Amino acid sequence: MGVHIVMDRSGDTRHEFDIADAKAVALAEKRFRELTGKGFRAVALAKDGGPGHLIGKFDPEVEQTLFIPQLQGG
Amino acid sequence: MERVVQILRALLQRALSENGRELLALADVTIESAAEPRLWVHFSNGYRTSAPLLPDDCFAFCERHAVWDLEGLRRALLSEARFAYAQMLQEQADMRERQRRAWVTEQMRRLGHGLAQSLRPRREALRFTGLGGRTFLDEGRSEAHERGMRLLKDTLLPAQRQQYAKYGYFEVIGGRSGKRYRIRHGRSMNIDQLDKNGRRICGWCFFPEGNLVTGDVMLAQKMALELFEGDAIKIANKMW
Repeated sequence: MGVHIVMDRSGDTRHEFDIADAKAVALAEKRFRELTGKGFRAVALAKDGGPGHLIGKFDPEVEQTLFIPQLQGG
Repeated sequence: MERVVQILRALLQRALSENGRELLALADVTIESAAEPRLWVHFSNGYRTSAPLLPDDCFAFCERHAVWDLEGLRRALLSEARFAYAQMLQEQADMRERQRRAWVTEQMRRLGHGLAQSLRPRREALRFTGLGGRTFLDEGRSEAHERGMRLLKDTLLPAQRQQYAKYGYFEVIGGRSGKRYRIRHGRSMNIDQLDKNGRRICGWCFFPEGNLVTGDVMLAQKMALELFEGDAIKIANKMW
């Protein structure tokens, strides 16, 4: 099972998908492309609370992907 | 609108856009008689621009102004151009004024927001201790806030979690530079860069777009510093 965690005004929105379900994976890939296209950065979360790593390409094997909106200076 | 007036306005618009903020005075309008007649618009600084003019384009204009010779047409065109140009300059001035007002409003809003945010952690630190029982005056118990804090807590290293619970901030190491940063509870103006002794060198301000809750903002700041420090610092504002 994979999950996309998208930061938003509600805290976050989670989209779970079964990696064995081709249709769900295709939807997840579409979501990945749309969000990164809008400027979100995708981070594969580490299990141990470590920093994880940035991902530029959809990988269904990543269990938890966090989507961070574009940054702005304050 | 007559075709010839449209051409005239397009030429004036071109002059305004090609000459940036320089205020040009309209000097003259001429018609070049050649195999392909052209309408020229001249400005005081020598800038001139033109477009082809077909006899059919002029017909309605000549009829409206009752001019049937070249000089009469030129005078009518110049009068029309002066009127249109004055209108366009006024519109441009209004737009700049609106932009200036919007900029000032936005700066004031950000300043007020930043001040409120920067005061928040200190005030809260006096009232609450420990993450478990910590609630923040302005954040209430909203579900969004809780979700954001939960996500942050789940993503912190145990040492960072403890530090945050105890002091209301946690430290991260810049993924590119190895520099030490302290992320204080807050949504803006809440990042300090530390020296090797833990003393503050300067502050940085950046946050994710979208008016996110505190937990999300702090998590985005942590991830940014650890994973794309260079990009984050590039867009951040430095504070001394």
